[in-house]
Amino acid sequence: MELLQKLTILSDSAKYDVACTSSGIDRAGRRGSMGSCSAPGICHSFASDGRCISLLKVLLTNVCVYDCSYCINRRSNDLPRAAFAPRELADLTLQFYRRNYIEGLFISSAVLQSPDYTMERMIETLRILREEYRFRGYIHAKTIPGADPGLVQKLGYLADRLSVNIELPSERSLNLLAPDKHRQAILRPMGQIAAAGAQSRQELQTYRAAPAFAPAGQSTQMIVGATPESDRQILRLTEGLYKKYSLKRVFYSAYIPVVEDTRLPALDTKPPLLREHRLYQADWLLRYYHFSAAEILTEEEPNFNPYLDPKCNWAIQHYGMFPVDVNTAPLELLLRVPGIGPRSAKRILIARRQAALDLEGLKRIGVVLKRAQYFLCCKGYGGSRQPRRETVVRALLDPMAFNAGCEQLSLFSAPQVQMLADTGLPPQIAGRMVQEEVVTRFAQKM
Amino acid sequence: MCCVFESFRRKTLPLAIWPPEQAQLTLYDCRDIPTEPAFAVRVERSLRPALGPRAEELVHLAFLSGSGEKELLLLRFLHTAFARGTAAAWDYAHPDTAPVLALERAVTEEAHLLMGFVRFQVHEGMLGAVIRPKHYALPLLRPHFCGRYPDSDFLIADLTHRVALLYRGGRAEYVEIEEGFRLPPPDAEEAEYQALWQQFYKTIGIRERYNPTVRRTHCPKRYWACMTELMDER
Ligand code: SF4
Repeated sequence: MELLQKLTILSDSAKYDVACTSSGIDRAGRRGSMGSCSAPGICHSFASDGRCISLLKVLLTNVCVYDCSYCINRRSNDLPRAAFAPRELADLTLQFYRRNYIEGLFISSAVLQSPDYTMERMIETLRILREEYRFRGYIHAKTIPGADPGLVQKLGYLADRLSVNIELPSERSLNLLAPDKHRQAILRPMGQIAAAGAQSRQELQTYRAAPAFAPAGQSTQMIVGATPESDRQILRLTEGLYKKYSLKRVFYSAYIPVVEDTRLPALDTKPPLLREHRLYQADWLLRYYHFSAAEILTEEEPNFNPYLDPKCNWAIQHYGMFPVDVNTAPLELLLRVPGIGPRSAKRILIARRQAALDLEGLKRIGVVLKRAQYFLCCKGYGGSRQPRRETVVRALLDPMAFNAGCEQLSLFSAPQVQMLADTGLPPQIAGRMVQEEVVTRFAQKM
Repeated sequence: MCCVFESFRRKTLPLAIWPPEQAQLTLYDCRDIPTEPAFAVRVERSLRPALGPRAEELVHLAFLSGSGEKELLLLRFLHTAFARGTAAAWDYAHPDTAPVLALERAVTEEAHLLMGFVRFQVHEGMLGAVIRPKHYALPLLRPHFCGRYPDSDFLIADLTHRVALLYRGGRAEYVEIEEGFRLPPPDAEEAEYQALWQQFYKTIGIRERYNPTVRRTHCPKRYWACMTELMDER
C-alpha cells in the first residue's frame, strides 16, 4: 500500500483522539541530535475544526481484535485497514519534524493480535526515533489496555507523555459499550504510570542523568454524551483523577455517532459541543482558579447551565460575596471575579504594589470591566450601586449559547435555541428569544 | 530625547540588524538630529542599572514591534522610567507602561505563533522557509530554531523586513535579501512530503465539528500564504 493511502487511513482513524498538545517539558536541543521541546507546547497548525495540530497523530494500525461499540475501528466495522511498519512511521515523523510541520509524534494503536504485540511495535517505533535517529522532539504514546506492566515501563522511558484512555465516565457504561475492556485494566496502568513518574522525578533529583519516565506526565480522555452520566459525575471523576493519579490533563470528547447501535445515541444526534466546552471551562476552574468540583456543580444542579460559563454561574449564585476589593483581595478571591483571569489577576498583584488601582488602570491591565464592574471595587469606585439584576445577568451571559447573532445555526448553541431553530425559526431570532427569557428567569432567582 | 532614542535605536540594539527601508521609515521624526553614538551607548548601558533587567527586556522586545507608534510609546515610557527608576516596568496599570507591555506582548505572541507556522522546504540538504510577519521576530526565532536543528543548515527569510536568518556550519547570522526573494521550486521528494502533509491536514479535521471561525482566531489568514497546508485554502 502506498504511504499516502496508509497515512490517510491511519490519521482518519486517529482523529477522534483529542489530545494533541506538546506541553509539559522543556528540553533544549543538542549537537548530534534533532529536536527540542518547549514546556508551554507549540501549535503548528489549526485544522478545519479549529483544533490545534501539534503532533503527527496517527494509529500504528487500525486493525483491531476488540469490538468497542463507540469506536470506528471495532472488529465488526467494515473499514479499510492498514498498518505502519515501525521504521516507516519513524521516518515519516522525522521528515515532518524537519520541515517544522509538527512538534513530534502522538502514537496510539488499535489492538493488533494482542495488547503485548501491539505495545512491542510501538516501542520499536520509539526506539528507532530516540536511539537511532537521536530525536529529542515530543512523543506522546497511548498505552494499550491489558498490556504487560513491563512494556508500559519500557514505553514510559521513551515517551514524554503517556496516556491511558478512561473512555467512558462510569464502569457501568464501560461494561455496556466496551465489553473487552475492564475498568481495572485501565486504572491499573494509570496507577503504575503515576508511581513510576513520581519515582523517576525523585531519582532525577539525586542523580541528574537518571533516565526520565514520561517527564511530561500522563493524561486521559473520556467520551461525553454517549452515556447518561451527569456533568457533576464527570467533573467529580475528573477531580479524583487529578488528585489520585496526578494527571496533567483530562480531555473530553463530545460523542459523534459513528455507528448504528441501539445502546448508543442515534446516528443523527449532534455532538454536544456546548457541553464539552463547559466541561473544559470547569476543568480550567479546577486547575487554575482554585475551585473544587463541589463548588461548581451541586446535587440540586448536577448539570452545567448552558447559558453561563461555570464561573459566572457561581458568581451569580454567590452575588452576596461581592464586591471584591482589588487592592487588597488575595489571589483566590480575585480569580472569582468574572472578567478577571489568571493573567490579569497576576498583573493586579504586581501592579497594586506600585500604586492603588482605579478603574482606568484595571482596564489597561486587561480586566474585562463589562463583566467585572458589578463584582469589584477599587480606588475611586465603591462598586456598582444597586444595578438592575437584569443588567448584571445580561453582562454575564455567554453569547455563544445564543448563536452569537449569527445567521447560520452554530454547533455551540444551547439545546433550547437549536430546538426553536429546528421548528423553522431563523437562528438569530431563536437566540434572541431564548436570551430574553433567560435574563428574566435568572434575574428573579438572584 | 528624540536624539537619544534615535541613536539608541540605530547603534546599540544588539538584537538585530535593520533593513535599510525600515530605518528610513522611522527616521523622519528625528531626521535632523545628529546621531551621537557615544551618548547612545550610554543610554543602552544605563538601561539595566537605572531601570532594572525587566525594563531592559521590555524595551528590547517592544522595539521589535512593527507598529508605527512604537518610537513614541517607547520614548514616553523611557521618559517616565528614567524619572521613576526600576518601579516603572512593574507598574502595569500606568498609562505609559501599559502600551509598551502591549507592544511586547504582540511581538512575543507573533514569535510564538511563528515557531509553529514556519514551513521549511528541503533543497539539497538545506532547509529554507519564507515568512511575512508584522513584527521583526527573527531575533526571537533564532535561539529556537538553532536549538531545534543544531546540525542542519537553514535559512528563514523575512520578506516583510527583507532580512534572512542564515544558519550554516553551526553559526547564525542575519543577511539582507533582495526584493522578490524566492525559494527554489521543490524537487520530487520535497513535493511528496508536502503532499503527505497536506493530506494529513485534510484528514485530521472532523467534518461534524467544522469551525472556520475558531480556526481563523487561532491561525489568522495573514499567515496562510506561507503555510504548506493552507495556501490553497485562502
Ligand atoms: S480497542 Fe481501541 S481501537 Fe479497538 S475497538 Fe476498542 S477503542 Fe477501538
